[in-house]
Amino acid sequence: MIYIAIILGCILGAIIGSLSPVIPYTYSSYLSIAIVAALDTVFGGIASVVKGNFDLKIFLSGFFGNSILSIALTYLGEKLNVDIYLAAIVVFVGRMFTNLAIIRRYYIDKWVNMIEKNKDNNIEKKDEKATE
Amino acid sequence: MKEKIIITITIGLTALILTMIMFTQFKTVDKTDITAIETMRETELRSELTSWREKYEEINSKVSETDAKISEYKQELDNDENIANLLQEEVKEAEGYLGYTKLQGQGIVVTLQDSNVDITYSDLLRLVNELNAAGAEAISINDERIVSRSDIATVDYIKILVNDSRIFSPYEIKAIGDKKYLASALNVKYGYIDEMRNNEKIVEYAEQDNIVIPAYEKKLEFNYAKENIVEE
Repeated sequence: MIYIAIILGCILGAIIGSLSPVIPYTYSSYLSIAIVAALDTVFGGIASVVKGNFDLKIFLSGFFGNSILSIALTYLGEKLNVDIYLAAIVVFVGRMFTNLAIIRRYYIDKWVNMIEKNKDNNIEKKDEKATE
Repeated sequence: MKEKIIITITIGLTALILTMIMFTQFKTVDKTDITAIETMRETELRSELTSWREKYEEINSKVSETDAKISEYKQELDNDENIANLLQEEVKEAEGYLGYTKLQGQGIVVTLQDSNVDITYSDLLRLVNELNAAGAEAISINDERIVSRSDIATVDYIKILVNDSRIFSPYEIKAIGDKKYLASALNVKYGYIDEMRNNEKIVEYAEQDNIVIPAYEKKLEFNYAKENIVEE
């Protein structure tokens, strides 16, 4: 159900995004930093699902709050003539990697467990056959 | 169950928003000529623009300045040409006064001839004086131009020298000027011609419309005289 919603949302978003007008290059840097922030929140959300402590409120607030905060920081950096958005990108991408590591470990564990279970099952079945 | 639906919808919406923004950004990046502006940001571009504009204005003002200078020079050149022309004309006029140019015009030709009584240098001198007094503009004796420093001299009261060259009878004196006036000045009663004829000297004169008087051929120069630079 959730996967269907995600796929549907992605397809619809792609269509709308492709049809939307081109925004000025000046503002595209703000948009890109917002995208990085949102992606970070998404990976964070997946990681929290994996951990089993997913909270929709936290996810939503992170999704929008991080995006807006990163845009505000970039704007501030623009005004101060300091590339603050670089710091934001470093933080977000770093967090994305840690979250990805959590997800990876979880799935690898799951996979390894599954293989071992299959092996155990096979051995048990062989044993059963042998005993018969 | 209801909670699950809400979660599904919100996550779907976030996915929608995220992908929408991402695709917008993709499109923007794709459409923007990034190679041209590279990593430049708006402020940099703006400062660049202002600097270019300043340069443009500077160059523009320089161009107009140079144009003004050119027109000034042109005017000066014109003036110079005018001055040069004027100077040349002045030089020509001065040369004319000095006697360095061949002149022509109306005037009279007086011929004096030796007979029983010789013509003396003083007759010529007087004649020249009379003609000058009558307003002659150019005078020559036997094609020797009379100028400001011309001499009419004699050696032994026989030989007559004009401009240091010996001349012989008949003496032909040409004078350019108002021909009627010159003739009447000589012809007046008890005047030059009258007197000469009383002295049995042969004098002829003729009014002519086109007398040609040659130029002075010697050089006029100052060896001792200097311009007076002391202001009075």
